[in-house]
Amino acid sequence: MTEPVGELRLGTDTGFSGRINYHFESLSAELEQFFRVENLTKTFGRRKVLSDVTFDIHEAEVLGLIGPNGAGKTTLFECVAGLIPAVGSITYRTRHLEQSERKRALFYFADGITPWPEQRVSWVLRFFRSLYSQSTRRLDELINKLKLTELLNSRLATLSKGERKRVMLALGLLTPQPLLLLDEPFDGLDLRQTRDVMSLLREERVAGKTLMLSIHQLVDAEKVCDRVVLLNNGTTVAEGDFTKLRVQANLSEGGLEEIFLALT
Amino acid sequence: MLIFVGLLVGQGFTTAVRLYSEMSGGGDGPAALPQGLTPLDGIIVPTWGAYDLAATLLFPFVAIRLVSAEKESGALKLLLQFPGSLLTKLGAKGLALLLGWLVAWLPGLAAIVLWKSYGGHVNGPETVNLLFGHLLRGMLAGGFAVAAASIAESAASAAIVTLGFTVGTWALDFVSAGRGGLLQQIAGYTPTAALRTFEHGLLQSNTVAVMLVVTLAGFVLAAIWLHPGRTARARAGWTSVLVLLLMVLSIGGSKLRTSWDKSENHRNSFSNADEQLLKTINSPLKITVYLSPEDPRLMDYEQNVLRKLCRVLPNLQVEYAAGSQTGLFENAADHYGEIWYEINGQKSMDRSTIEEVVLDQIYALSNINVPERQQSDFPGYPLSVQPAHAAILFYLAWPLLVVVFWWVFRH
Repeated sequence: MTEPVGELRLGTDTGFSGRINYHFESLSAELEQFFRVENLTKTFGRRKVLSDVTFDIHEAEVLGLIGPNGAGKTTLFECVAGLIPAVGSITYRTRHLEQSERKRALFYFADGITPWPEQRVSWVLRFFRSLYSQSTRRLDELINKLKLTELLNSRLATLSKGERKRVMLALGLLTPQPLLLLDEPFDGLDLRQTRDVMSLLREERVAGKTLMLSIHQLVDAEKVCDRVVLLNNGTTVAEGDFTKLRVQANLSEGGLEEIFLALT
Repeated sequence: MLIFVGLLVGQGFTTAVRLYSEMSGGGDGPAALPQGLTPLDGIIVPTWGAYDLAATLLFPFVAIRLVSAEKESGALKLLLQFPGSLLTKLGAKGLALLLGWLVAWLPGLAAIVLWKSYGGHVNGPETVNLLFGHLLRGMLAGGFAVAAASIAESAASAAIVTLGFTVGTWALDFVSAGRGGLLQQIAGYTPTAALRTFEHGLLQSNTVAVMLVVTLAGFVLAAIWLHPGRTARARAGWTSVLVLLLMVLSIGGSKLRTSWDKSENHRNSFSNADEQLLKTINSPLKITVYLSPEDPRLMDYEQNVLRKLCRVLPNLQVEYAAGSQTGLFENAADHYGEIWYEINGQKSMDRSTIEEVVLDQIYALSNINVPERQQSDFPGYPLSVQPAHAAILFYLAWPLLVVVFWWVFRH
């Protein structure tokens, strides 16, 4: 922690007393550099799948990773999580994270996985809860919000795609790492479920969790994300909130779809 | 696997008890010499032979499934992000496998209890030694299978690799028999050959060391290859280091000479008097054997003489000089059938493969007087009995028990 650059005194007329030391410079730097992905490059054989991908992840935001099929979204997530080797650097609060250190700072939940298919939902949820020393209250809260009560006795292999997705979301939200990467979190969910999950993710953001979501449905991304990173052909086309992206795309109005089409 | 193991053990046990009973004079036939009737050879080894089969053809697939299922379901991606190193997690899997292997032992242990209930004799040290051999055999199979599952793309490929390895070790065992040299030394550590030493009631530190090192190497290799985050270069580098370490440790382990004869009839040892005298021979002994690999005399000679000599004489060199595979068409000029002994430049030749005759040759070359030898005090344990209740236990009760436990576990 750096030395405070100033002191704000609160008078009794405000209803508060005391002082707040402020660190605007360091706070700003930390905000900007919560996570930073820099020059991430990944090749499979001679094919370059990611090329110098660079973007920032701010603390307690929902960042969307937008891109067409084959843009490299999943590969990017796997590289960031350290599951596959890549060139480039990932920093967390200005500290470079080695591949083996990333699991302490972030957790990545892949799309389309069915871990421990023969186990019951309740077992898998309890396993994650005890693995990460989460409270029973927290688990119950997630079970209620994701409407998993009826699924608790079912085996994972017997769940539908949407049901499985909700269970995986619950598992992801049981992880204590400050950053959670979710690959296609709304894939397989119906309209009502999508809205509920969006609402839950926003609540998690308010509670301080940082989320990065890979989304191919631009309408969904627009509703849930604070900022987005546009990825096309393995490169970052743009990064920012919607206002900034509109300016970048020379659009006075229009949604993410128009922005995406204009920038790619 | 548990059901199959029970059936195999049951089959092995009932057949073994019937044969043992016949050899003991049951069924109105002539009885074998009582000294030749050891429950280790007659009952325990054939019954527990089921576990060699299981460790070869069933258990590896359980181990493969443990890794491949996680790769295929995507659980591996989560596992890699859990706290702790990958090697620790694989170690936990190894412990789970070990536990499973021990649970699979229940029918084998029940067979021993059943044999005792018939009034049969069981010698503790040699039986525990055999079980220890099977423990190492299972761990070796598990270690190799986990490594194969980590390297191979799918469970099917891993199964092919594992079976290929098994067949390869059988081939090595077969090809190297009676050839001597490095090939036979290496073949002494194939899973089947290593288990054979325990089946003979011998506990060899070099066999134990090599089996443990190879098992551990399997899990380390799995940790190197299972993590998709490692580059091909890193994997190749670490694998090279591991192979180098494995070679150094295996060679080091194979040099260990300490061994313990746990057999009740001391089949792996000469008499105390002979052993004391042989230990006084410090000069190198070179034995040149003109017997072909398929000659039964060579097998007798290796089992009755060479194996015991290796334990006592640190400077023993054995050369297999026969020119053919069968020895049927060797010329007299080729010295076929001769066994030459050489100490300090002095040579003598004999054709006998009998322990006492060979020892007398060695004593004569070393100018040592032949000691007085006593007859073995091993009484033998003939028992004429039928395998009562075995069929019900192994073919009905055990499968039922497994099914009930499976059902309870599932629900």
